[in-house]
This record gives sequence, structure tokens and C-alpha cells, in this order.
Amino acid sequence: MRKGVRTANQVRQVGRGGRGRALRRGTALLMVLLAAAAGRAAAQVDTIPGAVRHLGVVYESYVPTLAISPFTGRFGGLTVAPRVEAVIARDLRYSDRFEMMDSIPLAPGGGAVDYGLWDQFGADWLVTGQVEGLGNRFVLVLELHDVVFSEVKERARFSLPRPDAEDFRMAIHAISDDVVRWITGEPGMAASRICFSMESAAGSQELYVVDSDGENLRRLSNFNSLTMSCSWSPDGSRLAFLSFASGDPAIHEMEIATRQTRVLDFNRAGQPMTPVYHPNGEEIIFSLADGAESGLFSWRVREDCCLWRLTAGRWNDLSPSFSPDGRRLAFNSNRLGVAIPQIYVMPAESGGRPDLVSPYLYGQGGYYTSPDWAPSGDRVAFHGRYRRGSYHILIADVAAQGQRLLQLTYEGNNEDPSWAPDGRHLVFVGERDWGFGLFVVDTVSGRIRPVLSGVRPRVPDWSPSLASTEAPTREN
Amino acid sequence: MLHRGLIISVVAAGLFVASCGQEELPPPPPPPVEEGPNQDSIDAARRAAEEAARRAAEEEARRAAALEAAREALTAMVFFDFDMAEIRSDAEGVLQRKVDVLRASPAVQLRIEGHADERGSSEYNLALGSRRAEAVRQFFVNAGLPESRFDVRSYGEEQPREMGSNEQSWAQNRRDEFVITAGGNQIQVPGGGQ
Repeated sequence: MRKGVRTANQVRQVGRGGRGRALRRGTALLMVLLAAAAGRAAAQVDTIPGAVRHLGVVYESYVPTLAISPFTGRFGGLTVAPRVEAVIARDLRYSDRFEMMDSIPLAPGGGAVDYGLWDQFGADWLVTGQVEGLGNRFVLVLELHDVVFSEVKERARFSLPRPDAEDFRMAIHAISDDVVRWITGEPGMAASRICFSMESAAGSQELYVVDSDGENLRRLSNFNSLTMSCSWSPDGSRLAFLSFASGDPAIHEMEIATRQTRVLDFNRAGQPMTPVYHPNGEEIIFSLADGAESGLFSWRVREDCCLWRLTAGRWNDLSPSFSPDGRRLAFNSNRLGVAIPQIYVMPAESGGRPDLVSPYLYGQGGYYTSPDWAPSGDRVAFHGRYRRGSYHILIADVAAQGQRLLQLTYEGNNEDPSWAPDGRHLVFVGERDWGFGLFVVDTVSGRIRPVLSGVRPRVPDWSPSLASTEAPTREN
Repeated sequence: MLHRGLIISVVAAGLFVASCGQEELPPPPPPPVEEGPNQDSIDAARRAAEEAARRAAEEEARRAAALEAAREALTAMVFFDFDMAEIRSDAEGVLQRKVDVLRASPAVQLRIEGHADERGSSEYNLALGSRRAEAVRQFFVNAGLPESRFDVRSYGEEQPREMGSNEQSWAQNRRDEFVITAGGNQIQVPGGGQ
């Protein structure tokens, strides 16, 4: 049972107790999580219609234990080593893929790895690191040890940016994602950012960006006008967004590195909203409210031309989100009634009939908006409420057309989910009794952590992995 | 607010009329004086001139008040029910007064700005605000006014008037605002300003 509660202390206790690996991988975790989920579900009435599972947690069969030995330093590297270790340790904890054993007092560091000792501690994996000074820069030598097989699984040298450089932390995040890939074969999400809008000190709503771990909050725009609904280009270099910066509401595109911004001029009346990039990076799809009609349109960004209508009707279609292969679109529409917006998916080439994926029941109301298609391709996240309940984050199985849903939040109000590049985490805006913030939920364990609080963020969008552009040079 | 403004100006105009009526009662006969008839006619002429100037000033004030009332009618907000974009019955009178002023003032152009309360999603509320603005433009078009005189936009839930998280604040935030974008100096009072 103790394994279900993942505080570092208890993990350490379990580790020191030298309990068998089989026990640690046992079903206790499942029991605890399911019991917790069932308890919360039972207490929750009138949230989501009965066809939906009130299950916020999925059992993951095996959560390996990962230990981090205190990083060592050579040639002046010790001044930087603790910072590097701290970022990597937090990234690996936030990946939610491991039971973490880090910050261990008196843990053996340096010298040859005593696999027997780490095995007694209960570690499946061990990360060791050494930071070497090299002139005025530093190199991290990182090793991943497979404790079970008593061998070095991966070894790499990373050249780090200068510690006072703006990209220092992001470079270490990229290394953390390498460790995740070494162990799981899956992408991480540490080397990524989240864009969103919020009110600036001057009182206008501007664009901001923050690292995936809540550090490094920066303002990107200074338009002195309402600016929102940012969306990352697939290569992570540009943002599309709605702004009133030029007076009239218009879709803008910003080159992030230079902050250079241009207005997309569709030469057409109506208010454009909710832009999003096609996975090919060459088109932007957005909603245009145009007279009594509204619809989804596409625009070729590179050629700066060719308005193309995808949907039309005397209702609102908005907040489009592409499937990863670009062949289907999820979007929000109030075609069933202005007070009952629902989530639909349809072929991206217009003409196909949209299918409902939110849990609409005739005459039962329900309000579901802000879809975001998962990188895995089979699920769409969105938020909504049933009748007059609270707003919660939900995930729908696309193939099941609203009949299979996971509810991920049970507290406060929760809006605007956006998938992390690891396809496993979602960021959303949460409202709690203490205020608003950006939260991240692990869709596998159900764990929720605030990444930015004390501010009122709006409509976050999680970037693709920035590891390829921000990664430190790997030297071997 | 608009109602009160209108009522005040109507009452003020009424008082004007009433007081004008009193002033037009025949003045009391001048007391017999010993001075020459020339002085009498000078006084009479002066009084007449003063009276004319006063009437002109009153007329000017009345026209200014009527103009101000017309301007207020143009910019008066209308409010909506939760999650709805239908024109409420209490908004129809407000909109009809706008139609009257717009008919009398063909140079005037309006921007209709839709807003939503904070509940629901930011992006859906943009769409909701846009529907609310569009509903009013449709009201104007149905009243025979050309669509080209109106520009619509939505600020969604992003620019609330009231910051509270309660029904009283929300009711104030579910609204259309109106901005005169052209012809602001050519507003004509409906009914020819008589």
C-alpha cells in the first residue's frame, strides 16, 4: 500500500526496507488509485451523463524506480553540478514515469557504481552525472545505469550553454528528455514551453510564455490590446494568435526569436478567431464569424493567400484542432443550440459529416468546448460541464463518439486543455478557491500539479518538443 | 442609465414649456411714469431683445439636450440572458430608439461590440459575443437600415464592466456596447429636432 503514496520519504523507506522488486511492482498501486478514483466519483453527482466512466486514473502496470546520485564536478564543474542535477531531477519527477529517489542524503556519489547497494535501495535505474569545467563553459557527462542488469545503459557528453545564458535551463530540459527516451523509448516534455495570454501590469491582455516546469515566465507581446488564443507552429518557431493590436480583430503571426509580427490579411469582413496551424506548418485554420454565418476557414501562410472555407452554417464553428496526421479536425460547434456547444470531429477536407465526440444527450443540455487532439491520434481532450455543474477536463475516445470518456479533474473549474508533446500530460487553466493558475495533469496517473499560480492565465497552448532546436551539443 | 437621462431631459423640456407659458402671460401694466415716451419705447425694445436672446438660448439648450439624448440613445448598452444571444424584450425599446436616431442621422455609423460574462470558455465566449453583436446588427437591418453602417466585433469575456463573480456582475457583463465610428458630429434628433 505504501507504494501508492509517492512521497520521497516513503519511497526511501520502502527502498531501505529492501523489499522485493516484484512487490514494488504489485497491484497495491492499482488498488489505491482505483479506490481513490471511485471515492471521488461517488461523491461527484450530476457531472457527466451516465454513459461516461467517472474514472480519472488509469493503472500503469509498472512504474520503475529511478535514483539520482548526487552529481559530481571536475575542473570547477562543482559550482554548476547541483543546479544541473536539480533541473534534471525535477524534470524526471514531472515526467510521472518513475518513482523518484533523489536528494538522498549520504547517497554514494562518484567513483564506481555499487549496483548491489542501489539494488538494495530499490532502484531500477540510476542516473549519475559529472560536470566538467572547460574554459568558461561546462560539459555534462551523463550515465544511465540499469541497476537490475548491473550495466551502463547509456553514456553521453553534453556541452552546456553558459550558466547565465537564457537557454541554459532549456538545454538541460532537453537532456532530461533524452533520459526519458533512453528508458521508455517515448518522447518527454521537459524541453517545451507553454504560451498563454494574461493581463499585463499595464492592464491589457498580452501573450506570455513559460517553460514546461513553470520557470522562466516571459511576456512576448506589448500590443496594448486584447491578444489571445496563441497556437504554436509545428516547428515551435512561430505563434499564431488573435489580436486587436491593429484596431480591428485579426489573426497575427509572430516569429518568436525576433518577436517580428505580421497581420494575416484575408481581405474579408468578419471577426477571425481561434487560429491553429495545420501539422504541415503551411496552413492556418481559424474561425471566421461573418454576418449571420460563421465557419472554419484555411489560409496558406507561406503564400499568404487563398481563403478556403471548410464549414459554414448559421452557428459558430470554432477552436479547431488537427489530428496529428492532418487528416481530421476536431472543433467546437453550437449547431445543436447556442447554449449547448459540443465537440465534433470531421475529415479535414471539407464535405464529411461531423461526428459528435462529446457526451450529448438529447434534451439534457451540456456544454463542451476547447478541443485539443492528442498526439497519439486516438483521443481528444476538451472541457465542459453537465447542466449547471462545474467545468472539468475530459478526454474522449474519438472512435467511441462520446460514449467513452475520462474525467481528469474533480475540483474547482477547469478549462482549455492542451496536450504536451509527450502525448501524456495536459496543461489547463484551473480555478481553485485560492485563485487561478496553470495546472498540468498526468493523464495516466491522474496526478495534478500547479505550474503557475497567482495569475489569471487564459487559453494555454503547449509547444511541440523544442529539444531539436534547443538541445545542447551531444559530443559522442 | 439611459432611461433616467431621457426622463430627465423630457422633464426638463416640460418645465421649459411650462415656464415659457408663464412668461408669456401679459406683463403687468407699467406704472405710470413721468418720463418721456421715448424712454418707454427704449425699455420695451430692450426687453424684447432680451426676451429674444433668452428664448434663443433656451432653444439652443433644448436642442443640445435633445442632441445629447440622441447620442446617449445611440450608445446605450443592451444586455443578454446567460448563454443567449437573443434580443431581450427589455432591449427592444433601447434598440428602437437607436433605430429612430440612425434613421434621422444617415451619416452615423456604429460599431457593435459583443461581450460575455466570465463563465464558460474564453474562446466560446468570443463566439457568443460575436453572436450578440450580430443579433443587434440583424435587428437594425430588419428595421431597414443598411448593413454597411454597422461593424461588429466581439471581446468575449475579456473586458468585463463589473469584476464580481456573482449574478449581478455577470448580468452587467453580458452586453453589447456601441461606439459611434463615423458621423458623430452629424447626429440629427429624430422628428426633425422641433
